[in-house]
Amino acid sequence: MLLICGTAPRKDLPLTEGEAILQGDTLRIGGAEIPCTQGTAALVSAACATLACLGKPAPRALLVGDDGSGKGSRLLYDHLIHNLPRLAPQVVVLHYMLPVMGLMRKVSEAASKAKKRPFMIADAAAMYAAKAAGIAREFDLFTPDLSELAFLADPQATHPAYVSRHLFESDSARIPELVAAAYANGSAARTLVVKGAVDHIAQDGRIVDRLAEPNIPALEAIGGTGDTISGMAGALVSAGFDEITAARVAVRANRTAGLYAAVTPATRIWQVIETLPRVLAEHLDEWARQAGNKNIERSAS
Amino acid sequence: MFFKSGKNNGFEGGGLVLFENVEEAMSGERALKADGVENRLVAPPPELRKGCDLALEINLVEKPAVERLLRSRKVHFVDILPMKGDAELLQVVQVTDFGEAVMVKAGNMKLTFDKASGVVLNISGGGCPDIPYLHAEMLAKPLDRAPRPREMGHTLCSLMLDRAYVQSLEIWKNGGR
Repeated sequence: MLLICGTAPRKDLPLTEGEAILQGDTLRIGGAEIPCTQGTAALVSAACATLACLGKPAPRALLVGDDGSGKGSRLLYDHLIHNLPRLAPQVVVLHYMLPVMGLMRKVSEAASKAKKRPFMIADAAAMYAAKAAGIAREFDLFTPDLSELAFLADPQATHPAYVSRHLFESDSARIPELVAAAYANGSAARTLVVKGAVDHIAQDGRIVDRLAEPNIPALEAIGGTGDTISGMAGALVSAGFDEITAARVAVRANRTAGLYAAVTPATRIWQVIETLPRVLAEHLDEWARQAGNKNIERSAS
Repeated sequence: MFFKSGKNNGFEGGGLVLFENVEEAMSGERALKADGVENRLVAPPPELRKGCDLALEINLVEKPAVERLLRSRKVHFVDILPMKGDAELLQVVQVTDFGEAVMVKAGNMKLTFDKASGVVLNISGGGCPDIPYLHAEMLAKPLDRAPRPREMGHTLCSLMLDRAYVQSLEIWKNGGR
């Protein structure tokens, strides 16, 4: 089971857990209706589209309203700390929530109390909290963009707003150097998907792939196009794909969805997500096969 | 040593509010606690000391909300700083021209607006929970009528979005240049 945890931009949404159903531009979870906008809603929606394509059960979502005050986030942390071992998900994605170092550490401890520790993915502020708390290595997958990679590479920073200027101003040519620094200071999960003009996939300190096609620059402007990668990767891992194949397929699907949706800087994320069923139906088997072949080449080299 | 117990409660926030004197530090603690903002009294390390030898540790991410709350309660403070690393917030702003639209990036936040109308087209990046909220509030509004992130947001992500917003407004008022 894939469990996705995060916040929604509604003050009145109580802690809500249930199967997530995507209908058009709206998510339905445990009786609540949540618009498919930037943030965890986009992540959940992309996971729904991916699992539906694979004929797998819909993801479960644990969402709470939070306008940034952190009140909803604290309910979410508390619920996870007390219930994660019982929920026993196969894959957990932690996403938009107020980063609180001590609480994130307790969530990771709770995950370890499950019969089998889930495959742990963190993106957005959940990733900030895991890095700042010094427990990045307890996670299986992080999905930073370039500015967030600079944050992971800065051993002192507790939020991307305080990254050293020389690291922030790095261009994509320095990604290998930043990836190496993030692993060296223990601030990286086992696998990284660095989202950008050229997506980089790294594992155990080594870059294993770069993907740049199709090149759709407007995707960077659209709120939610990083969230969709994390949602698809989580869905693919929960469906049995290894994390490198999942990462490769997710970034290729995201780029191709941008192409199919003919995106501009004004496109909304649900317009990208609504092309995912077609993208995955047309390409998933081929991409998974190619990624699998690359994995075999990698293990032989 | 009365604040020593606070050191053992497991709270680690990463940010320090510095005060001129002990009375203000105590007032700050009361104001934040009354509003449910997690904090504890600590002795600031010598390299960060700017006023008295009592400070409040806060969750650094909540810096904008803490500043706003202390100001509204008329509690004077000297500064809010990270306990380690760079003391300065990122000032760097990067601009991408998409032709009819401009994307302004500040830290981990990006704001894209229409050059002609100034309408906010998209907000991307970030990870704190006020960003999807601000996204919903600002989208499809002209920059000069959109709510200012610094006034509605609670976190450092909203502060970075505010930097992008201020720069966007300036670019738009200068005709998109």
